[in-house]
Amino acid sequence: MSNKSLKKHNRHTLYHVIMIIWCFIVLFPIYVLIINSFKTRLSIYINPFGLPKKFNLSNYTTIFKDSSFLIYFKNSFVVVILSLLLMIIFSSLAAYALAFWRKKQARLLFFFLIAGMMLPIKIASIRILEIMKFLNLLNTIWSLIPIYVAMGIPIGIFVLTEFIREIPLELTQAAIIDGAPRFKIFTLIITPLIKPALSTVAIYNLVPYWNDLWFPLIFISDEESKTLLLGVTRLFGQYQTDWSKVLAVLTLSAIPVLALYLSMSKQFIEGVTAGAVKG
Amino acid sequence: MKLNKQNKHLSVEPSGWYWLLYIIPALLIYIIFMAYPLLDSLRLSFYTGSNSSNREFIGFLNFKKLFTDETLSVRYKGAFSHTIIFFLINMVFQNGLGILFAVIITTRTMKAKSFYQTVIFIPTTFAVLVTGYLWKLLLNPIWAGDTLSKIGLGFLARPWLGTKSTALVVVSLISCWQWMGIPTMMFIAALKNIPKDCLEVASIEGATAWQTFTKIKVPLIKPVIGMVTILTFVNNFNAFDIIFATETVNGAPNYATDLLGTFFYRIGIAGEHPIAIADPGLGAAVATITFIVLLLGVIPMLRYTSGDN
Amino acid sequence: MKKKVFFVMLIVLLTLSTNAFAAGSSETKMEKVTLTMGSWRADDVDAMNNLLEAYSLVAPNVEIEFKPTNPADYNATLRLQLESGTGPDLMYARSYAPGIELYQAGYFENCSDIEGLSNFTKSNKAPWMAPDGNMFAVPFAAVSHGVYYNKDFFMKAGIDIPTTWEDFLMACKKLQDMGITPLANGLADEWDILETFFLGALPNYIGGANQRVKYETGEMKLNDEKFIKAFTAMRDVAKYCPKGFESVTYNDSQALFATAKAAMFIDGSWSVGTYDGVGFDWGIFAIPAPKGNNTAICFHPDMAITMNTTTEHPEEAKAFLSWLCTVEGATTASKYLPAGFFPMINAPIAIELPQANEFLALNEGKETDARFVWPVLLALYSPMDQAVIKVMKGEITPTQAANDLQKAYENLDL
Repeated sequence: MSNKSLKKHNRHTLYHVIMIIWCFIVLFPIYVLIINSFKTRLSIYINPFGLPKKFNLSNYTTIFKDSSFLIYFKNSFVVVILSLLLMIIFSSLAAYALAFWRKKQARLLFFFLIAGMMLPIKIASIRILEIMKFLNLLNTIWSLIPIYVAMGIPIGIFVLTEFIREIPLELTQAAIIDGAPRFKIFTLIITPLIKPALSTVAIYNLVPYWNDLWFPLIFISDEESKTLLLGVTRLFGQYQTDWSKVLAVLTLSAIPVLALYLSMSKQFIEGVTAGAVKG
Repeated sequence: MKLNKQNKHLSVEPSGWYWLLYIIPALLIYIIFMAYPLLDSLRLSFYTGSNSSNREFIGFLNFKKLFTDETLSVRYKGAFSHTIIFFLINMVFQNGLGILFAVIITTRTMKAKSFYQTVIFIPTTFAVLVTGYLWKLLLNPIWAGDTLSKIGLGFLARPWLGTKSTALVVVSLISCWQWMGIPTMMFIAALKNIPKDCLEVASIEGATAWQTFTKIKVPLIKPVIGMVTILTFVNNFNAFDIIFATETVNGAPNYATDLLGTFFYRIGIAGEHPIAIADPGLGAAVATITFIVLLLGVIPMLRYTSGDN
Repeated sequence: MKKKVFFVMLIVLLTLSTNAFAAGSSETKMEKVTLTMGSWRADDVDAMNNLLEAYSLVAPNVEIEFKPTNPADYNATLRLQLESGTGPDLMYARSYAPGIELYQAGYFENCSDIEGLSNFTKSNKAPWMAPDGNMFAVPFAAVSHGVYYNKDFFMKAGIDIPTTWEDFLMACKKLQDMGITPLANGLADEWDILETFFLGALPNYIGGANQRVKYETGEMKLNDEKFIKAFTAMRDVAKYCPKGFESVTYNDSQALFATAKAAMFIDGSWSVGTYDGVGFDWGIFAIPAPKGNNTAICFHPDMAITMNTTTEHPEEAKAFLSWLCTVEGATTASKYLPAGFFPMINAPIAIELPQANEFLALNEGKETDARFVWPVLLALYSPMDQAVIKVMKGEITPTQAANDLQKAYENLDL
């Protein structure tokens, strides 16, 4: 018995060592990012890894002064949240049907719907631009939402269908025999069970939505409609020769998405434990 | 009573039209904003000309050009083989470590789990601009050299990203660093779904950690492993941003890190610097071939992972 | 419960966004023509805003919004926007082939009838003249190339400004022996080593435009002695670049020079404003020619401005272009343009920054030409770039590099 727990103890130590090494690999570059964003232009290169002699806040204040940072932030937030919501709703409905509709047509539809993730969407840019122009959505943040939802659907359907297929049939069978409508089964049984998968899909798409530069770049040129990454990338060009400002810009652009992740992953962890207690 | 019975019958085996209702919203958005523009653009692979006013049908000439044109075919083959290497490194390193991290984080008695999980995910939230900028700084002997030699690691101060033999591997590892959070997260979701009783039985019967892992966990999360493999495959064959941010759109040095994604972008979207005249037809041909390769890879993978059910 | 949260969020988001709409629509009340201007000069936001503000005094009813895209994205996004009919009203036009192509595709307006164009010399107009003889843009600015040097280091090492390439190498050696990195140039970004260094130095080896033409027609070969000599110069200078120069980016190079970690940097005139406030005295000299050759300068027509054929306000757009072609407009422009971008108009315009003047003074009494590949041989850009990089890394000899280049030339369909 004591032998076993010793072994377990050693294993934990090994695990912690592995994780601490990885944490260092992740956190060191972030440390470099942050400390250098508080330095002055050229002092970064005199001592790139040391703490700044004096914390210089002017990089951050200039950014807020030079740009409509809060507007960018709001735009990004609206676009990302709405896109995620719609993507999740549409994908999970479709995935539910595709998992239970066991016919050849369903198989083909499934393939058709996930095939989109195998092509670089950039190739379709001209057509998409024309569609947005036709819909009169250019230069507004609303042009981004349908495209992001469409971009997220293949992965959403792919992941969610697989997860729904994994649900033991007994769980739904009983409800079907009780005569519960299919939609109720979806909302009451399926959705809670695939909560971790839903947050996985949301987080998976959160990053490309938030960090997409391409579509804002070709759709939007008005300051009031710019997304955060588009806004800061312009600053990136403008401050090209002032690296400490660039780093401040980059730090600022990373914080909101990290916060969004944290709020979603909390949901994700809670969802999983809730499921585990039930199961 | 009779009505109820009929209802029951309906819900046991709904018709295809019923299921289609669930699919229609996704299908509509997908067709309008993705499938139609994509297919219409792929059609261009049979045309030549840089814009709509000078377009001309040329059959399979674009495809032929990719494989026979003297400079183009060298670049294309280079990009293809680099992409395979890039994918394999990501596959092995990122997903291997991802499983390991997920197992560690789902070990019930471990401490600081959510801290580790968050740290693993942080780089994933970065725009590639950040990643590229940071690693170019860190891996640069000019800036990191002094610090490294101070701690006795001076031999590490080498132009990793500027040397032909190391650049591709290093860029692949940077990509792993950034995207590690995704497979880890998916494996965690899968491992947490394993019923507790399975693991308890194993523990009572005295299975070692390794045995539990290979005999119970891996078989049970096989569908997710398949899914992650497919996603890694699909994403890395179209990878672009990370090369763009660290090695320029040319896949420096001397095209050593040129991937299908960067090759496609140069040919079909932006044109070669500084000429900047894109060839959408040729670009579409590149994308079409990549698409076919991916389909050929993904279909058997899907069969394999979901065929067991 | 969950549904409620969802709807509350939705409503919050919708109200947020309708506010944005309301804010947007109130602006259109003013009776003012707004033009947008596309550009790849994201660095110049402040400068261009000042310039455009100055223009609003000339034309009070016109507002021009400067909307630059980062250089790496400019070509791709501009083309997409033009093709889908969503391009800006005014935009920067590249010289030679890339510009001609967009003109021929019908996106750039024919600007030939702008009167002020007579204020430009023929050679300054040529880069934006289509084969049909029409001008597709009005010339805006040219750039030059040269050696930035740290005067303190030169004083310490007791070096004078080298006038021949041989002296230049000697100076490098002397600096290196003192433990100073002589040159800041690197290879990581690939464009800078070719555009500023090799093409900057090339006129020293082959001469000016009248010689360049001979290579374009095939009368002279790209693997002749002159080219081999130019590639040899690149080989010889590689050892004076920073340790690990293979992964030194353009930004790194600038930082090395600015932090006095390297004594010289071969760069373009556009950087002349970057080194304001560095803690040492610096100057500029021409990339020296080898003994027996005359030093020549690579003075490159870089930026022009044109208008969209489908703009809704063609008159206002044309008025702006015409203004740029007047002496008054060009003077105002050069006042606000970042230092190191030189006006191309044929009129004496004073430039304030002393180092920018130093740059311009390099042209005096010397032959000048655009970057060698630009006018006709742009397809040789990549082969030449790769050849230079391989020579500097020691992977191929200068002779091999020149042979590769000639082979690439022979494969072109001209």
